[in-house]
Amino acid sequence: MSVVVIGLSHRTSPVELRERFAFAEGKIPVALQALRASGLAGEAVILSTCNRVEIYAVTALAAGTAFAELKKFLVAHHAYDGAIGDELYTFAEPHSLHHLFKVASGLDSMVIGETEIFGQLKDAYELAFIHKHTGARLNKAFQRAFNVAKHIRTETNIQRGSVSVMSAAVELAEKIFSSLAEHEVLVIGAGETSEKTARALLSRGARGVVVTNRSPERATALATELGGRAVPFENWTDALEQIDIAISSTAAPHHILDRAKLEPLMRCRRNRPLLLIDIAVPRDIDPAVNELDNVYLYNVDDLQSIAADYLNLRKEEVARCEKIIAEKVAALLEANKFSTTDGHR
Amino acid sequence: MNWFTDRHCFLLAVTFYGLATLYSVFLWRKGFRRDDWVNYLLLAGGVALHTLAMVKRGLTLHSCPVNNLYEATTFLLWALGLACLVYSLLPRFKFLAAFTAPVLFAVGVFALMPSLDPPHGPKPEFSGALRSLHAATILQAYGAFGLAAVAAAMFLMQHHDLKFHKLRAMLSMLPSIQRLELITLRLTIVGFGLLSIGLVAGGLLPRHEGKPYLSDPKVIWSALMWLVYLELIVARLFFGRSTRRFTIGVVIAFVFLLLTFGITNFYSGLHNQ
Repeated sequence: MSVVVIGLSHRTSPVELRERFAFAEGKIPVALQALRASGLAGEAVILSTCNRVEIYAVTALAAGTAFAELKKFLVAHHAYDGAIGDELYTFAEPHSLHHLFKVASGLDSMVIGETEIFGQLKDAYELAFIHKHTGARLNKAFQRAFNVAKHIRTETNIQRGSVSVMSAAVELAEKIFSSLAEHEVLVIGAGETSEKTARALLSRGARGVVVTNRSPERATALATELGGRAVPFENWTDALEQIDIAISSTAAPHHILDRAKLEPLMRCRRNRPLLLIDIAVPRDIDPAVNELDNVYLYNVDDLQSIAADYLNLRKEEVARCEKIIAEKVAALLEANKFSTTDGHR
Repeated sequence: MNWFTDRHCFLLAVTFYGLATLYSVFLWRKGFRRDDWVNYLLLAGGVALHTLAMVKRGLTLHSCPVNNLYEATTFLLWALGLACLVYSLLPRFKFLAAFTAPVLFAVGVFALMPSLDPPHGPKPEFSGALRSLHAATILQAYGAFGLAAVAAAMFLMQHHDLKFHKLRAMLSMLPSIQRLELITLRLTIVGFGLLSIGLVAGGLLPRHEGKPYLSDPKVIWSALMWLVYLELIVARLFFGRSTRRFTIGVVIAFVFLLLTFGITNFYSGLHNQ
């Protein structure tokens, strides 16, 4: 008996194909039951997320036969009538365990090191466990995978840093201000990214939100949604006297804030730092304002560059993580308990 | 243990400061990414030995050990090192040690020059509480100014990295620039208060025949330093001087203080007896 994996992910297939093979959560127990009833697998876990669909199975069949049968099962279960080849990947031991540990640690994710997959894998395992579709081998393998993921999280920098524009903006604010609790956020233009960034700042303790928009209704609606207040677009610059973080994403074809407008405001602010995040294209804020003392201006490229640099740092950590995983897989395979015992826990 | 004098003890302290400086270089190169205790412990070891050296000298003299340039310099460094250890306990301030260690090491090596520590009798002339207060508060003020300069340097580095969108600003585990500015301002004000007390205490000391205070280079220099720091504080608090200019001023003032401290002491009739 050995652990095998068959699946398709964002690395091998487009979303159009992944969605054809996705399992609805409520139907997974039935699929697992069918898989085991077919005699193909003694134990099984199905992981189905937006980025991957995978079946982890313990089978007595030879690897080649098992993969062919599992492929047939997948195709039949989803009534898929198209062609499928390299989009499906397969792993036999020890690579199957190596793959499981990588998935749990976020190393196989679209954004390397992300943690959401850890929770999704845990949910998938628990669903199979509750319905008694796992046994000694998969229980041991998944428990070990979760431990390895935690170990990697604490021992490496694989999850360090902001890999999205929103989280980079929050991190910047924390580098400038002692505590976000003392600062309100001004949202200029009620766009989706600025809204998400404001939400991220609020979740990190920002005191409140002030929204301004050409359409006052939209400003009021967003302000209500975020628990803040709206100010008229005609005099939003007055708000900058009190507010220290501004996120701008209007559709204006020209700069709505330039050095001439900001300079007198900075004098009124008595040198309090001001963080300006300009995520509009074309840009809302004249880059020359960054030359003013105590003004820190970041545009969308700057934030994306920070996110990309962090991602590169994470990639540099992958080798360390792979080494840890190789050691842990070897240790698991050598462990006496991970050999022959079958049955449900 | 007669062979192990206070100077030996200070030499060991400077060795620890040197090790901390080496480790600081490593931390600089790594961009202050790991928040560890190694540098803090090295500096703490140095300050402990430094304290022992000063206690030994103080016990020998039966007074505060600030009677020549060596003693004055070591007292200043001790105040700086101790303040650094205390402030480093604040969240994200452990890297203060990495910025302070090079100053302690460089000035410590300078203080070890034998000519700065000429032999004197078992008890120096003009010892007494007021004299100790005068010397100790002024040197503690310089320690506070030193630490303010260190915090200002940290601010300027972080400010530069944030202004020019360097990734190091995000990766480093330095405090926020708002916090660094606050610490710099507070330390400068504390230093200014101590300097004022020290200067007033100095003015109350017994007068020397034929040595008027206001013609002594050290007194003129001290008054100049007092004015410099007064200007920095007033300009920042009441005239809206920008944080960047204020912190540059704090760094320049302390570098000037360090460079001219020994020279004015050397030419001072009142302080070089």
